[in-house]
Amino acid sequence: MDFEITWRADVFSGAPQASNAAKFGTVGINFRARKPSHEGEWHRALASLRCEVSDPASQKGD
Amino acid sequence: MTVTPNARADVPGAARPIANLDVAQLRAAIQEEYALVATEPERGFHFHTGRPLARLLGYEDAWLEGIPEASVASLAGTGNPFAMGALRPGERVVDVGCGAGLDSLIAARMVGPQGAVVGVDMTPQMLDRARRSADEAGVDNVEFRHGVAEALPVPDAWADVVISNGVLNLFPDKLAGLGEMARVLKPGGRLQIGDILVEKSVGDGAKRNIDLWKG
Repeated sequence: MDFEITWRADVFSGAPQASNAAKFGTVGINFRARKPSHEGEWHRALASLRCEVSDPASQKGD
Repeated sequence: MTVTPNARADVPGAARPIANLDVAQLRAAIQEEYALVATEPERGFHFHTGRPLARLLGYEDAWLEGIPEASVASLAGTGNPFAMGALRPGERVVDVGCGAGLDSLIAARMVGPQGAVVGVDMTPQMLDRARRSADEAGVDNVEFRHGVAEALPVPDAWADVVISNGVLNLFPDKLAGLGEMARVLKPGGRLQIGDILVEKSVGDGAKRNIDLWKG
């Protein structure tokens, strides 16, 4: 829980070899999260979980 | 009361094992690639390595002081687990996919003699580098163990913090790997991870293409 992406950056440009996976828009990230202290905290977090994804069809990489 | 990883299998959108992925072949290919990073870090890969990468990722110069160059040179991470906060003296840390041991050695210094670090990696050449660096640097609160992320050789609820850098994207079964991280963390324990995000969706065919996993 408390998941958060804290940083993202292009960490692959300029590498000695070209990346086959670059077409998928790979970027480096830092993220953090925390294990719940008890079951109740986990279930409350799960109940409030929201995930928003923009139009997947426009993001297809292959 | 503990939170079991299996309780999370119902999380909407959680990653599932990839059908028809040859896991043994994938692991062999990844080991082959990262054995080269351990033994020939100057070879040139599809990712940056070593001290230039450490600068790119925001590692502080002071963190690298006194760490044997072999471990610095084989850094192949994609983020910075310490950018989200320094580790505290006395904490126990697990470094999943520790590679040549740079992050484990930095962590060992942050947690000090009352703390402990376990680095886990599946590539013997990386573990060999990591162990030699720990000996060379005189760091004795770190231990390097052979294993895979989906079956960490660490007891339940042992760690205050799990760190990892550029490794989660290589897990064939990401839910199992994250479940293992949850298992070894104490209640309230922290994940501090550097990894990769893909901004476009990856089709099933691409997920089975081992060349894409390697880069």
